[in-house]
Amino acid sequence: MPAIADRSSSPFKAMLAAKSCELAGSGGCCTPQKRRLRSDTALAAKESPVSTPMKLKSPRRRLDSSPSSPANRIKKDPSEKTLKKCWNPRDVEQMRAVKEAVHVSTAPSTVVCREDEQKRVLDFCKACVQQEKAGSLYVCGCPGTGKSLSMELVKQQVIDWAKMEGLQSPEVLAMNCTSLANTSVIFSKILGMHQPKKKSIGSTSPLQHLQNLYSNKQAQSSSKMMLIIADELDYLITRDRAVLHDLFMLTTFPFSRCILIGIANSIDLADRFLPRLQSLNCKPMVVTFRAYSKDQILSILQERLLVLPYIVFHQQALELCARKVAAASGDMRKALSVCRSAVEILEAELRESASNTGLTSAEGDFVSPRTALAYEVFPSQENNTVRIDHMALALSKTFRSPIVDTIQSLPQHQQIILCSAVKYFRGGKKDTTVGELNKSYIDICKSALIPPVGILEFSSMCRVLNDQGLFKLGQSRDDKFKRVTLKVDGADISFALQGVRLFRNCLQ
Amino acid sequence: MGREKEKEKLSEKALNLLRSRLSDPNFIFRPLSDSPDSNYSKLKFIISTSVTEACNNSILLLGPRGSGKVAVLELVLSDLLQQYPEAISVIRLNGLLHSDDNCALKEIARQLCMEHQLLFSKVASFDDNSQFMIAMLRECGLAHKTIIFVLDEFGFFAQGKQRLLYSLLDAMQSVNSQAVVIGVSCRLDVDQLLEKRVRSRFSHRKLLFLSPSKEDTERFIEHILSLPMDSSLPHNYTAEFNGRLKKLLSDERFKELIDTYLSFNFTIGHLVRFLFQAVSYMDLSAGFLSLGNFKTALSSNQRQPKLECIRDCSVLELYMMVCMKRLEVKEQASYNFYSVMTEYKSIHDSFQTSDYYAANVCLRAFEHLLQCQLISFIDNKGHNQSVEFRPVKLLISSAELHQGLKSYQQCPAILLKLMDR
Repeated sequence: MPAIADRSSSPFKAMLAAKSCELAGSGGCCTPQKRRLRSDTALAAKESPVSTPMKLKSPRRRLDSSPSSPANRIKKDPSEKTLKKCWNPRDVEQMRAVKEAVHVSTAPSTVVCREDEQKRVLDFCKACVQQEKAGSLYVCGCPGTGKSLSMELVKQQVIDWAKMEGLQSPEVLAMNCTSLANTSVIFSKILGMHQPKKKSIGSTSPLQHLQNLYSNKQAQSSSKMMLIIADELDYLITRDRAVLHDLFMLTTFPFSRCILIGIANSIDLADRFLPRLQSLNCKPMVVTFRAYSKDQILSILQERLLVLPYIVFHQQALELCARKVAAASGDMRKALSVCRSAVEILEAELRESASNTGLTSAEGDFVSPRTALAYEVFPSQENNTVRIDHMALALSKTFRSPIVDTIQSLPQHQQIILCSAVKYFRGGKKDTTVGELNKSYIDICKSALIPPVGILEFSSMCRVLNDQGLFKLGQSRDDKFKRVTLKVDGADISFALQGVRLFRNCLQ
Repeated sequence: MGREKEKEKLSEKALNLLRSRLSDPNFIFRPLSDSPDSNYSKLKFIISTSVTEACNNSILLLGPRGSGKVAVLELVLSDLLQQYPEAISVIRLNGLLHSDDNCALKEIARQLCMEHQLLFSKVASFDDNSQFMIAMLRECGLAHKTIIFVLDEFGFFAQGKQRLLYSLLDAMQSVNSQAVVIGVSCRLDVDQLLEKRVRSRFSHRKLLFLSPSKEDTERFIEHILSLPMDSSLPHNYTAEFNGRLKKLLSDERFKELIDTYLSFNFTIGHLVRFLFQAVSYMDLSAGFLSLGNFKTALSSNQRQPKLECIRDCSVLELYMMVCMKRLEVKEQASYNFYSVMTEYKSIHDSFQTSDYYAANVCLRAFEHLLQCQLISFIDNKGHNQSVEFRPVKLLISSAELHQGLKSYQQCPAILLKLMDR
């Protein structure tokens, strides 16, 4: 495993020492100057119980590693909540903290709105460990609904619970099936957990070895239970569905020791790909993680923002975000990404206003740090929180497709081609050839008194439109006979082109 | 004599300067990127915040071919490498070469090894390579180094099982790694090609590269074609060159010319190519750019090979093509040599033209048209039949024929009249 020498912090300390006074001065693009070092905060913090010998831990990891800390942070004095002060977006530290709080990779300390599902999975695992029985569970749900996150927490909780109860805590094998080179590698991994020292015998495959192991009673009472969490289970689906089947069948053996939890997106994976299990009466239990509703998204966002001692978002902005994302997909990652981009829009707005006022007031003189700080001293209440208009802009950026903008900025002849395609396909036809489209295009050009281009130029413009994803061109030896279909809705094109009189008349 | 030679040398120098400018993408895109809400500054802001604030990001650059996506990206990367020399390492993948997962991981491992001066083993397996990549991401994250993945032709990575994309984007979801994934594509709907879970991990940021507005284009042309005052060329020559250029650019005819060109293809790449051609036509003895240069460039850009064929045809051949056109208009589905001759005779009878030739001469003309590929047989089946009986079709559209007739010297007026009807 490669190792990079830890960067000495001396070159960066120099940067920290120099105050960034370019905030107001440069009119062009400003890059944030101060660099936050993880090593600095880690030095200041106390040692956490679990630490790697070489590297210093970042504050984020510190919080997650000790199991007892999550509870402390959330308990806030009720009187404190009402006295939250406004944040100062020009402070680089605060901006960074806000962005970190809303980043997808920051794992929250508790997982709200998933208590039921977690409880079900936890009870199932507890029962299996207590009775020393094997079992299988299937977790399904749309992406971004908190499945992997919940399984991480359950994993930890099972180990803690087993320790508390005095039972043997199970060994855990958590893996993502996309990283497997071959679908049957999973069996050798399971075998490796069972017998870490022994080398696998050449003649029997790992699968057969495991099957043998589980069919015979060989000092089973001493060996531990094994908790297997397989993420993105549908990568194991092969044409004959053998691997998936064998994996779940492992839990049906009389002396099997594994508790299998599979995570995937499709709801009916168990029914479609594991029909034989039903006859054996060992169908896996299914826990569905539904897409988040508006209230759930709102409460999760608020939970995340509780760690910050100041108010960043307007309540209505958060509600708008939650409502829009819940209506679209219920995907939590999207909500977080929208919040982050709203914060960035606010940041850009403040930067622009600062540079504008800075430029006008400086009149060519060097802007001293004092005037830059003056903005920080008097922040106005309204300008500091992320308002509804920022959130609306962020939402439109995320959800709107760039098609309308692109069509409006196409050169004129390509717009005429699109217009002629819309007109041609209005009659109910679905596709046509380039030659026919050319005739329709020439008609429109004639009516607009624009000289049409030749067939060569026309087919190369069709190819450009195909590259951009607006058309779909089929294959043919002769250019004229390639089949053309529209990939964009005709209504979108009409909407985009309605500003130009020519197209308005054409498309009436 | 000496003065002329001197002038030629000067103009050659100026020409070389202009041509080298037009081939340098850095020079072309820098003036367009100066404003604070250009794509350059937005991209730079996003990447630099990821570097300094140690958070992960992913972004898509979309736009038609030639609109400068990769050029602007390279500008941003080179600027950032100057600003933070130790904190960034760049991995470049291309969808045309590395769309297969094994290949892509091997390439990533190789580039990482090159950056950090480690030994790369060619026989490392897929598993080894992916472990290596994850380990490197972790190490770089701890050492405050950001890895920037540039995925060119992003659409090709979205084929198949999208394993590489998933593992890259998933690695970015963890706290340990510090990476930025930048996808470049010319398809607008490339994120619809992604699987649900990959799309969910992608941060939905898109930067659109649209063509600049008309005023920006004019300013851009002026900026590129003006010679700099501090070059090695003599001052008065430069001043005169720039003065004449300014006059040319404000000429109405020039504006019309540029408008015509830009109504087909609006991207910067096309414009630069056009300017390169125009500049290459510069008359070295005069030493200055003129409107004629641009006109020649425009016409050489819009070649129509069929029109050039028509220019080489004889008058009889033109007659035959017009007859075939008329037959088409009369909705005769297929026609052969004899039906064309009938039409030809009827024209002669009604208009009393002077160009009436015998059948064997017409047959020669017919065969010549076949050779030029202005007409062709409808199908290849009738090899036994002689040329006169096989049905033919016209390979040239009526608009092109009309245009060809108009540009033909000494075209008989009757033909134009017949075409108009």
